[in-house]
Amino acid sequence: MTWNRRETLRALGITSASTWLWALGCGAPARPPPRAPRQISSDVRTWLRDAITRLAAVYPSVHALAVTRRRTTAAIDVLGTGIARARRDGVVLTVRTRDGSWREHVTADLSQQGVLAAVQILVGANGTRAPIEFPAPPPHPAELAPILDDTLRKRVAAIMRNDQIGASRLVYAAAMIDIDDVTVWSVAPGHDREQTLRRVRKRATRAAWNGTRPVVSEVERGWVGNLDDQDLGVEDVTGASRNALQMMTPDTLTDGEANVVLEPSVTASVIDAAVRGLFTSTAARRPEVTKRLALGANVSAQALTLVDDPTTPAAYGGFAFDDEGTPAAAITLLDAGRVAGRLGRGLRAGHVGELEPQPTHLRLEPGTQPVKQLFDSGWILEGKLSAVFDPSSDHIVIGVARARELRGGSDTGRIYADVELVGDLTTLLANVSGIANVSGTTIIRDERAGEPQWRSIAAPWVRTRGFVRARRRLS
Amino acid sequence: MISRRQLVGALTNKVAEWTVIERQQELATISEGPRPVHRTDLLTRFTIVVHHDTPQGRGSAHLDINGSDGAANDIVEQALSLANAAIGPIWRSTPPAAPAKVKLIDPALEKGSLGEAATNTLRALRRPAGATVIASLELMRERVTVEGYSGFRTSWGATMVRATALVSVGERSLELAREARQISDLELEATFATAVTDLGQLATATAPRPGRCALILRADAFLHGGGLGVWSVFADQASAETEHQGLTRYRLNRAIAPGADQVAEPLRVESDGALDLAPRSAPVGDDGDAVRRFPLVERGISVGLGMTMREAARRRTDPNGGVRNLVVGVGTWADAMPAGRTIDVRRLRSLSIDPYTGDASLDLALATDRDGSGERTISGGTIRVDLIGALARARRSASLIRRGPYVGPAAILIEDVDLMA
Repeated sequence: MTWNRRETLRALGITSASTWLWALGCGAPARPPPRAPRQISSDVRTWLRDAITRLAAVYPSVHALAVTRRRTTAAIDVLGTGIARARRDGVVLTVRTRDGSWREHVTADLSQQGVLAAVQILVGANGTRAPIEFPAPPPHPAELAPILDDTLRKRVAAIMRNDQIGASRLVYAAAMIDIDDVTVWSVAPGHDREQTLRRVRKRATRAAWNGTRPVVSEVERGWVGNLDDQDLGVEDVTGASRNALQMMTPDTLTDGEANVVLEPSVTASVIDAAVRGLFTSTAARRPEVTKRLALGANVSAQALTLVDDPTTPAAYGGFAFDDEGTPAAAITLLDAGRVAGRLGRGLRAGHVGELEPQPTHLRLEPGTQPVKQLFDSGWILEGKLSAVFDPSSDHIVIGVARARELRGGSDTGRIYADVELVGDLTTLLANVSGIANVSGTTIIRDERAGEPQWRSIAAPWVRTRGFVRARRRLS
Repeated sequence: MISRRQLVGALTNKVAEWTVIERQQELATISEGPRPVHRTDLLTRFTIVVHHDTPQGRGSAHLDINGSDGAANDIVEQALSLANAAIGPIWRSTPPAAPAKVKLIDPALEKGSLGEAATNTLRALRRPAGATVIASLELMRERVTVEGYSGFRTSWGATMVRATALVSVGERSLELAREARQISDLELEATFATAVTDLGQLATATAPRPGRCALILRADAFLHGGGLGVWSVFADQASAETEHQGLTRYRLNRAIAPGADQVAEPLRVESDGALDLAPRSAPVGDDGDAVRRFPLVERGISVGLGMTMREAARRRTDPNGGVRNLVVGVGTWADAMPAGRTIDVRRLRSLSIDPYTGDASLDLALATDRDGSGERTISGGTIRVDLIGALARARRSASLIRRGPYVGPAAILIEDVDLMA
């Protein structure tokens, strides 16, 4: 039986295997990065301003959003290093008609002709222009320094070298750097904005077989800034290997209610599912959500304060303005356990998708207890796998990689793979009985209709109580 | 913007075998709600499949790209590099066969403005009395052209309709999603009516009592999440590559579960990618291979696998376009209730299936609990089940439904499961 790398990744169920392959497959000779987008900033601004004057002659409210995106991915595994580059441009023209409804037209052609053709779809042959005084153009954001292939190769190789465990039981080891460069223009009567963001994420993956099942462990860090602003150090990468190699207890976990200590990535998983299911203006269309989460309602333990803050410096989900052109500002969602707000800011997947309220950088405020003080009898749940939340019934299922048994505050050494935390979200949050003074940041880059969405969650260790069950029986 | 001609030009004489699929798509989306939106998109998408021969063997790559993603030569270079990273033993593609004859276009959407069609459809929709419905409708029309290294070229038109809706009654709501090739197959009015009935029942639902019971799954439950729902376990098990790797639960030409070939109504499941107006139908697959109808399970025995071009070559057979729409054989069960306690499930909160072992967790959203003392509506509780074994032995209803990529019994009865609170 011969396996190639694609089959190996798929069999291991490694997340974002397509991303790895996209990069790993690209072992072409080193070449300079592609040229910057041909349309320089002032050209794009001129086309968008022209579009706005034409649209405003017909519609009472208009907005033009343009984006150029470049993605650079470098990855390394046992077979070598690869670097891939991709580019995507887009323009979204949004108008409000006199009857109050909205119309949008989207094109991938960011050129003078492309923008003009998009305008004509909305206004037809009407060639009139409204007299609009635009504000002075914003200062041009700092240019993103090009990153050479050679630099990237050295950086991913360095992550790989940070592993101090060379166990033969590891069946797969890889490192990746994924960079999304975006420049976004937002033009409307009264505003003219431009932002340039470089989102960097670094990840190391380790996989080992444990009995009949693979155990995959990943460590990941992401931020907005320069390539070398943060790193995956020896402790991070070695930790990933150690987690993959951990021997699991060979019997089945007994399902039942227990105290659980959630490691920051698992807390983040709960918070992310809860916010997307409950704290957006879309979720508020559900009557049960509106009733349960009325402003001021007490919905969780008093110790919980949750803020969505895209202005957090270097946050992976952060930005200067949203896809409606509104400058970023923090929104408090939970204040000492009470509902304080909802997310209504308009974000588009990849800046071109449908407008949808989404979290950006969520921050669950840390507590004052050292992590060890949270340990009691029950389970430590580590490594986020999945989260399914039904806002209608408040039912949540959190998949985690490992559950470690605690007895009298000490680790018994029993570890079970593939475990689920199940129950009502409100109960889970109300049962919170301890929050540590240590937080970790989890980043999420997922896709919707093929377009990327970026967000991050800073969350501490949390102790609560819930129903823990084995995800699958022993095979 | 890249064109198909440029891609074909860049591939010719550089790659042993290739296929380019171009999709020129026009989309119109209408969303109701506090901010009603009418959106139009014009897109060109390409799928490129290359099989690259080297002295070490053959490597394959599959790329999905947007029409604006750079230059044709760069794309081909990346595809070649990707193929080099997945080199396996040498194999030869099967010569192109005749594309499946299948109808994929809704005559009502073949011409004219999609935006107007979407507006008219939503406007004509009768909403159930006493309920609030916030709907969103996406209409897509595309022209697909497939071109291959051998000179093979085919083209067809297709439509796809996707609807989502939030139906609310009083203080409860249900989110619904439907996908079809033609508007009439969405059956939105019937879907809304069922949702309203279920919401009414939810208001009186109580927590379940744990214990052994028989389980009836209705269509909204077993097709949870859209698509194939619980039946997706057979699509996962029918991947020829996974079977080749020994990772499937059962092997070809063996019973899918102990005794599955000896039950009174053994299971039959087939993949039909040539079913008219089914969402997963197509004349040819992504490899340029002709799509075919073939059995996966016959009388409880695994008899067929979805064959990619590579797997078909390995096994010296013809590719079949992979597993697509599933047609499940109906049974004779006519809704007769078993003697003991029965949980009749209308909707699930969540469904999680391990694709390798077939172990599944079904979290119940709405069900009726019947025993000798009467019946009551319940919400909550979990069923853990070996799905392959359970479906192999399940009684299947005589009534047939067709929804999205599923054609088969409208209800199934699984004897003896354990309901956990």
